[in-house]
Amino acid sequence: MAKHTGRGIAAIEYPTGMNQNGDPSQCWIKVKPDGRIDVFAGTADIGNGSKTIQSQIVAETIGVPYDWITYDNSNTDSSPVCTGTFASRATFVAGKAAEKAALQVKQKILEIAGKELEIDPTDLEIVDGEVVAKGAPQTKLSVGDVAAAATWGHGELITGTGAQLKPYAAIIDPETGEVDLPPHSAISYAACSAEVEVDDETGEVRVVRLQQCYDVGRAMNPTLVEGQIEGGAMMGLGLGVLENCYPYYPSVEHRGGAFGSYLAPGMEDMPQIDTIMIENPSADGPYGAKGIGEMANNPQPPAIAAAVHDAIGVWITELPITPERVLRALEAKTEPRREGKKVVFDGELSVNAVSKGGITFEVPA
Amino acid sequence: MKVVGARIPRYDGVAHVTGRTTYVDDVSVPGTLWAKALRSPHHHAGITTLDTSKAEAMPGVRGVITWKDVPLLEYGHLSALGIPADEPLLAKDEVRYRGQPIALVAAESEELAAEAVDAIEVGFEERPALFDVREAFDSDAPKVHQWGNWYPHFEGEMDRRQIRKGDIERAFDEADTIVQGVYRPAAIEHAPIETQVCQVVPEANGRLTIYSCTQALYFSLGVVAAHLQVPLNRLKIVGGTTGGGFGGKVDTATETMACLLVLKANRPVKWRWTREEEFLCSSTRAPWHMELATAMTKDGWILGQKMLTLHDAGAYARFSPYGLTKHSFHHTGAYSIPNLHFDGYVVFTNRTPTTAMRGFGVTSVSFAVETHLSRVAKELGLDPIEIRMRNANRIGDTSPNGVAYTDPSTIDTLQAIADAIGHELPADYRTMTNEPRAGELLPEHLVAQVGSTEGH
Repeated sequence: MAKHTGRGIAAIEYPTGMNQNGDPSQCWIKVKPDGRIDVFAGTADIGNGSKTIQSQIVAETIGVPYDWITYDNSNTDSSPVCTGTFASRATFVAGKAAEKAALQVKQKILEIAGKELEIDPTDLEIVDGEVVAKGAPQTKLSVGDVAAAATWGHGELITGTGAQLKPYAAIIDPETGEVDLPPHSAISYAACSAEVEVDDETGEVRVVRLQQCYDVGRAMNPTLVEGQIEGGAMMGLGLGVLENCYPYYPSVEHRGGAFGSYLAPGMEDMPQIDTIMIENPSADGPYGAKGIGEMANNPQPPAIAAAVHDAIGVWITELPITPERVLRALEAKTEPRREGKKVVFDGELSVNAVSKGGITFEVPA
Repeated sequence: MKVVGARIPRYDGVAHVTGRTTYVDDVSVPGTLWAKALRSPHHHAGITTLDTSKAEAMPGVRGVITWKDVPLLEYGHLSALGIPADEPLLAKDEVRYRGQPIALVAAESEELAAEAVDAIEVGFEERPALFDVREAFDSDAPKVHQWGNWYPHFEGEMDRRQIRKGDIERAFDEADTIVQGVYRPAAIEHAPIETQVCQVVPEANGRLTIYSCTQALYFSLGVVAAHLQVPLNRLKIVGGTTGGGFGGKVDTATETMACLLVLKANRPVKWRWTREEEFLCSSTRAPWHMELATAMTKDGWILGQKMLTLHDAGAYARFSPYGLTKHSFHHTGAYSIPNLHFDGYVVFTNRTPTTAMRGFGVTSVSFAVETHLSRVAKELGLDPIEIRMRNANRIGDTSPNGVAYTDPSTIDTLQAIADAIGHELPADYRTMTNEPRAGELLPEHLVAQVGSTEGH
């Protein structure tokens, strides 16, 4: 009996926004008479932090403090279309709509401030909630005063709307998969190292450390990005070594119907996680952001599988890598089939071993 | 930049951790009825009889709905994209997975509703079930779906998703080594803290207010309106704060049926799934079966890749055709592989329908391609980081469907990881960049990848 340690590496990519695009998000903004900003969007916050990120984008774009923003995504009467919170699109697509709406609001504020100050709006900028003459910072007017002037003096409502939609990329040749437009917007990238400890008596795999690097485009809020990356790592760990609806897949027997009979990762499973963020900005996202919410659970399972091989010399390619699978693999010590220049692993799992000819996988040589 | 890039606390974080966030189940409306579902006990069966009269006659029962009450019984999650519908909101003459809803009861309490469910008389004729995607194509396989055992409605009415690029025969012919493997990640639960739940309230003006945990307010709005055949303004979805989704709450699991019960009983209705229903009846991440063969040179270039993917969709299509297409567009992982042959099928089985989940369509690819590449590196005696950097996609390299990459970072992320783990890379790998290939990192088989501006 012994514990063996191993390390595995993985590198992945993941698209931002719906595959083939065609997924609109919209935003509208109104300004209260004291300059405070109300943002309306239809983006559900599922814990991804989109309320925070979109509020940050609006505050930054207009030039007002973050705490001036209220964000309302509460219902479909007041909030415009958002295709939804999936496909890593809430910052990238919906955030872009918020940025566009905020730019309109900013322009409107500058126009009204220009009238009040009798200065061309192009010579004005907004800094920390004040409209300031470029090069003459003593000439200024608070955004609150501008909003009051709009409301009580000019009889105007300061609003802005924004919509983000990349057109749907149709597959024009289903034989090859050729598309008529780019089917993705930004792509995010990540690499991961997993260190594991495998007990060859119990078969247990313990993930000891995950070191991960993500290209996030732009870390809009580093705390929330780290939360996505670390939370995603735990889901990836669950995929890698713990979770399974059908423990004897494809059989449906022994399916767990409660947390007590379904093994999701808990705090005791959490390894040391080191997060490195790099920023290779996207062309389309707000402030160069990419979406990394979803990919955050993708690199760990293959890194763990490689680390298990590094530790005990067997490849386990059915997830999760449970103690039962580890012990069976150690017992079987299956070698790949070698035929000429072919090295064939996992022959027993192949469709060729199971189907009665209905489908096969043929590899030229 | 002052606000973007700042570590600002979560907008609703304090409310979440102090229990002051109003989730759907916190909404309390006087006069609310409680809903419970009659679900299939069988993996696959015909429905021979369905009689709700005894349940409806029970004291305290205010309404029962079946398929007969649904104005548009089948509306696909992807109908808006032209993908036809296959799943009835409530089962009509056949059940295809254990847990499939057949009828929904509204009563004065959850207990009464459960008793009324037991009083519904339903007859089944059990049919053979199919669980192994590898057997679905055999002539003697049980027939489990009206379209056949796999999805037949890809573009051009093709029954699979294909990618073809370059010359796959030549790649395998020229390979020094061909490595084959099979990769099977499991179905997993979304396991949100908040189970599927909704509260629907009939308003005096005839509108329905739907308190929903959906991840996609407008998506769900469209789905409910389509089934009910009403304009969008008849409905108001209230939500935007979800107690855990991870993809499972892109399905509109409860809202439509609860609306129909409200229309029948003219009372507010709440339907909240038990933890057991959440585990056994709500959709899961799909299990995938992937077979990979890569044509390698002895020094670690990937000349070509052949792949077969069987996507176990469960009983109905839901988002699976979308997921498989996304899978196919990313089936090379983070690498430039000039010669490709991909076939993917959405296979129907008699398990709970699968749906979107974090990383949808690509989590599977990442596992297959990366585990495979680790094997290849071992087999060829190459460094696992160097083989990845060598084949990494570069600016201007093209994706499986021929679109140029504009902002790759595979090389940077691997360099960062090499640094972090103290893995010393050779000098040419330390200085490698994402810029288009040149020199000995531009072998003949990749020449056609460089300089393409297609898709910019």
